[in-house]
Amino acid sequence: MSDTLFGVTLPPRRGFSVPIQSVGQGGITAWLVEDHSVPVVSLAWAWPQGAAADPRGKEGLASLSAAMLPEGAGDLSNVGFADALMDAGIGLSFTGGRDSFEGSFRALTDALPEAVRLARLAMTQPRLDAEALSRVRARALLASRQSLETPAGLARRAFWEAGFPTFTAGRLSTPESIAAIGQDDIRACLGAQLTRGNLLVTASGAIDAAGLKALLAELFGALPEHPIPDTPPLPNLAEFGVTLRPKAAPQSTLVFGQDGLLPTDPDWEAFQVALRILAGGGFTSRLMKSVREERGLTYGIGAGLDLLFGRAVIIGNVQTANASVGEVWSLIRSAWTEMAAHGPTEAEVADALAFLGGSLPLQFTDSRRTASLLLNLRQTGRAPDWLAGRPARLAAIDRARVARVAARVLKPDGLVLAVSGEPVGL
Amino acid sequence: MMTPSSETPGTLAQGRVPSHVAAMDPVTRRRALKGAAATLAAPAIPASAQTPTLAPPRRADQPLFGAVSWTLENGLKVVLAENRRAPVAAHYLFASAGAGEDPAGKSGVAHFLEHMMFKGSPNIPSGAFSQTVAREGGQDNAFTSRDVTAYYQIVEASRLPLMMRMESDRLREPLIPADELEAERGVVLEERRSRTDAVPRGRFREAFDAAMWGPQHWRGRPLIGWEDEIRAITRQDVLDFHRLHYTPSNSVLIVAGDVREADLRRWADEFYGPIPRRDAPPRNRAPLPAAAPESRMERRDPAVRESSFLKTYAAPSATWGETDLADPLEVFAHLLGGGTGSRLHKALVETGLAVSAGAGYDGDTVGVGSFGVYATPRPGIEMAQIETAISAVLADLVQEGASEAEVRRAIRHETAGSLLALDGLGAAPRMLGGALAIGLPIEFVEHWPQRMAEVTRDQVNKAARAVLTEPKIATAGWLLPG
Repeated sequence: MSDTLFGVTLPPRRGFSVPIQSVGQGGITAWLVEDHSVPVVSLAWAWPQGAAADPRGKEGLASLSAAMLPEGAGDLSNVGFADALMDAGIGLSFTGGRDSFEGSFRALTDALPEAVRLARLAMTQPRLDAEALSRVRARALLASRQSLETPAGLARRAFWEAGFPTFTAGRLSTPESIAAIGQDDIRACLGAQLTRGNLLVTASGAIDAAGLKALLAELFGALPEHPIPDTPPLPNLAEFGVTLRPKAAPQSTLVFGQDGLLPTDPDWEAFQVALRILAGGGFTSRLMKSVREERGLTYGIGAGLDLLFGRAVIIGNVQTANASVGEVWSLIRSAWTEMAAHGPTEAEVADALAFLGGSLPLQFTDSRRTASLLLNLRQTGRAPDWLAGRPARLAAIDRARVARVAARVLKPDGLVLAVSGEPVGL
Repeated sequence: MMTPSSETPGTLAQGRVPSHVAAMDPVTRRRALKGAAATLAAPAIPASAQTPTLAPPRRADQPLFGAVSWTLENGLKVVLAENRRAPVAAHYLFASAGAGEDPAGKSGVAHFLEHMMFKGSPNIPSGAFSQTVAREGGQDNAFTSRDVTAYYQIVEASRLPLMMRMESDRLREPLIPADELEAERGVVLEERRSRTDAVPRGRFREAFDAAMWGPQHWRGRPLIGWEDEIRAITRQDVLDFHRLHYTPSNSVLIVAGDVREADLRRWADEFYGPIPRRDAPPRNRAPLPAAAPESRMERRDPAVRESSFLKTYAAPSATWGETDLADPLEVFAHLLGGGTGSRLHKALVETGLAVSAGAGYDGDTVGVGSFGVYATPRPGIEMAQIETAISAVLADLVQEGASEAEVRRAIRHETAGSLLALDGLGAAPRMLGGALAIGLPIEFVEHWPQRMAEVTRDQVNKAARAVLTEPKIATAGWLLPG
């Protein structure tokens, strides 16, 4: 059946599915979305831990260690290594995240062997020169200090520190902790992280299963095999109420949130619907309408599920003139209360489901994004058929179910706020 | 931007928190390729040639996107860059007018109009545009640069005609409802605070541009507008800007994705064809000031923790002055300050004087371009040490010139990844639209890697001398703690 909208006939959507292949090699399993329309391959891989394993007083170690990997390896100096990457148009990066250590590259197919060679060299023979450490440390110190220049940076930091005062997610790096990190610490961190144990790999683009098998052997074959311990579970978000970091600025940043749910929760997707309606992307959310469209109090407001240590935290942010902070905070709490008490309307649920279902193909136009999305699915513990089953799961969601999960999860009284600026009216 | 851009925050997997602070960078060809560095010199050898669906090997003289283009009777240029990876279409409408066309004393009108374009047109009620795009599973947004204003949607390919229907309606006649103007002015003022007023580095950049070009010169005004001028913009100002500049012949439509040319021709005629032809005034950019109002500025800001140095030179662009120097300047910027291994990196970062140092060239612009060098000193390093080191690097390049090896290396780095622009639906419309909307031909983008490969050492050294020794104007500035 065809619909008509604004005089335009809407044909049935074209079918779309994403076949995910599972490719095993030497104990490593990689997910692959194969596509030969563009001569590009993207690879992404991850281990658990990252900053979760940073020793007390040396916060920032995983991040600094990751930054050292492209600073020279084997017989290549830092300049030689950078030249080799740029000569072939390869984008290679390593990051030490909150609960994971990750690598990724994107390369044209003719540059793929070189990308594998350089990524392998960085992981197996990083030079970790003292001069390079001095440069990388200076960069990290600068970033750390610059992040304190704005209300946005201060509020973000305050949220995590106050929300997890005794857990690693709340222990952020400081200039002192970065200064305390030495070469031995970096060696120890990389030695523990770079292993074939607990390694998750995903790939997307112009490579087939056989090609990927060979690539996995070449890229990871030389790594040791020891397992990495699982990360500890995320504790409850501390109910810290409101925390303020004063900053002389005409506008305040508010970072707000509460505990979320587990990705294994059967109502995970029903809750995604509730949160999209309340505070999700674009113009359509209730908060965007009430705070931006009707009152002109912000450029943007939104909240989403931030998944870390196997559990989601609901976190949102908004920036508003200092004088409006009280009003905006009150609007946020009212919207939260209203959604928890009465749930969404039928029309809101229909719109949100249409978006979540219809936007699937948009996630697969870019090989890097595809590889990264697959990696996120794996880190969340999803099975390869999770994507294929999504339309059916979305179809089974109705208003009552969304209202139920909203009432169960949303806690207007437990909503916490970190704010920076010179807020009025709190 | 109409809304803070955040690429579909994790509806499928891990939720990513929308950043709500997106840069309002002008879209340029090179920026669209940033992070995409790779090699014309290396012949493309397909990794798995046995796969029947594999794209054919590319030759260096092939156009980058292989886009086709035509012009409707009303003057609207249409471009299609097919890409069949997923059943998705990106639909971009570029107006050849941006903040550079803001009337004197009314900075911010182009950007304010961009916001008000979402407030309805004769057949699409206010707010319905974005709501419809979302219901169809798509994304929409808009951005304003100094030279263009662009509106875009990314949707499942079968929804492209619906997008064209809605976009053509507001191109023809936006409503600009008076009763929504004040709330939206509030949004724009909050946007200004988020980008500039609450961000010390944003405040500095704004002050720097004003110091170099003059606060009322088109190049020295902020894209988003001065606060008092945003407050004074009237509904009539916004309507006038649209009437004057948003005409079919002053616009470019770019579609990228899984779309056939015959279909796009039919839809373009059906939806955009009926808009009457209207002439837009030619761009009328004021000439450069005789001298920079301030050739040197030092700004202390109590919020700042780390100092920064920036020096910017007026430079030829692809549309202004000696346009032949534009490509050589791109090469020069890379060898001077394009990351690890560049001259500035060696002289300032490797030596421990600076945490970072580099150079940049913005030459895909209407009117004068700009060439800049920057550095962030390490703690304890004096301002004079930084400036002396930079001057020494520049003096050597002016006197001795860059070597042949450096020039070849820079060209290789700049072009090696050019084909990565095919990965995704963002680069083609932004590069093609950005060029066409400032009056450059489609070949400017399609054969860009080849043109770069032909740049010679002599051209690079000539371009460097022209900008560094005889700039029309230049300003050096420090942002300092305190």
